[in-house]
Amino acid sequence: MDSPSALLPFCLAGIAAGLILLWRGFGGYRNAVTLGDTATSRIDSLAAGEVRISGTIEAGEATLVSPLQSVSCVWYRAKVRSRDHDSTEVFAEERAVGFRVRDADGGRIRVFPDGARIGVSPRFDEGTGLMGDAPVGLNLRTGSAYGPGAGTGDEAIDRETAIAALLTVRAPTAWGPGAGAAGDVPDHGAAAEYEESRLEPGDVVTIVGMALPFGHLPDPFGADRMDRAGDPLAGLDDPMVAAEVADARAAGTLLTPEEAWGNAAIPGFGIGKPVREPELDPDADVPAVAPAEDARDAAARFDIPPDTLVLASVEGSPLLIAEGAPEAAVAREQSRFLVGLLGAMLAVVSGIVAAIILGRTPT
Amino acid sequence: MTPTPATAAAAFALVVLGVVALFLLLGTYNAIVALRNRIAKAWANIDVALRQRHDELPNLVEAVRDLMAFERDVLLEVTRARAAYSANDPVPAMAATSDVTSQAVRHLFAVVERYPELRSAENVATLQAEIARLEDVIADRRELYNDQVFRYNTRIGQVPARLLVPLFGWRPEPFFAATKDERSNPRAELSAD
Repeated sequence: MDSPSALLPFCLAGIAAGLILLWRGFGGYRNAVTLGDTATSRIDSLAAGEVRISGTIEAGEATLVSPLQSVSCVWYRAKVRSRDHDSTEVFAEERAVGFRVRDADGGRIRVFPDGARIGVSPRFDEGTGLMGDAPVGLNLRTGSAYGPGAGTGDEAIDRETAIAALLTVRAPTAWGPGAGAAGDVPDHGAAAEYEESRLEPGDVVTIVGMALPFGHLPDPFGADRMDRAGDPLAGLDDPMVAAEVADARAAGTLLTPEEAWGNAAIPGFGIGKPVREPELDPDADVPAVAPAEDARDAAARFDIPPDTLVLASVEGSPLLIAEGAPEAAVAREQSRFLVGLLGAMLAVVSGIVAAIILGRTPT
Repeated sequence: MTPTPATAAAAFALVVLGVVALFLLLGTYNAIVALRNRIAKAWANIDVALRQRHDELPNLVEAVRDLMAFERDVLLEVTRARAAYSANDPVPAMAATSDVTSQAVRHLFAVVERYPELRSAENVATLQAEIARLEDVIADRRELYNDQVFRYNTRIGQVPARLLVPLFGWRPEPFFAATKDERSNPRAELSAD
């Protein structure tokens, strides 16, 4: 180092980094207090209002397929950054679909994720290798971002499929449009850093938020999904689509779901287990009508009684979803706060060193 | 006057420390207020369940009275326990009353089992199921309330909240549990004729 003033940029960087850490630490403190100061309620005896529950995630009507590892999940946040000098973010996507949480006593509650603050550590955090090879575990999504929900297939088949997927050797994939990944990703052809956080069925989560009757949700459909990448159903807001829907309604063709969607309105039809006989072409294979028990399950999954308590974000009180049991979630947020305090110290020390350097620099 | 680098550094350090201290102060105050509100809500939820049980018990007693003419003591026990409920009682006294009522209800349920006519009566079964459900709800919400009180009492006993206690007069809240005195002398027994 030629002169002490060469350290000045590092000091300024230290101040900036310290203040950012401090800001994030404040967020950790707030989350730790929210999570730690609320007692866990049993889902079966839940009362409306702010509650904390903890349990295992169960898939709802649909699941998601994560973009970087193609894993079935109910929420993901994925980012790809190029390794150029300014670490350009070439891909960022966050999505969630409604899911259920089952606690240790067997109680279940539906969670509507829109607007939730989700604190989950990355499950996949890798970069391109030195030789430009794709990181181990990268398995780019090649189809729809949405997958089937729980109980929509034969368990034995699911197991076989899972084993086959595990044993399949895939050719290395590179990030870009040619890879067939969802999203409009520029083909930068450079090394990249991949990061993906997920919540999967079977994960333990702790949630603090408002329990309210389902009938009180102003927009259940909107609350049931979070999409921070471009809404696949946003077309419904398009003026042309809206006009066509209005025309169809005026023509009387959208009076009931059956009239609008035909067989697709029959619960279970899409998964080959219709709960009543569909109207099909005489030459088509007729699927067996699901037994009464399946029909009840399907109805319960798709029709939530209006007085059933659900968890959803309301204005001024977003859901806070953290991975793990309550104690682990609180400890993680407290660690963030401690890191924030260290950041404050870093900022102060960097400021003092910068002042010493400036004091010694001849004017 | 242009501040020297040393003065600027000192001012910066003080501002950072001040921001952290202020954040902790406000964060602690807000956390205590939130805790107190959660306790109030948890208590209100218990009270709702206690009132529901209070309203359901006469229906059950009425439904079984004719067939249980020889079990007058059991019915009287339930009636006395119910009559002892007062929404204005302090929390430990209400806990004691609730315990006595739960005990009387369990006793009544056990006696009902000895009467096949009662067991098969649909309205009795429905009332029994509803009261049993309310007993479960009361037990769960009691646990939740006590957990919330524990968190609050612990928080105001620890630094930094401990330093704010003299300023705001926060006091420990009672648990929903009968004290030793209440257990040995519950209101339900006092009101027996």
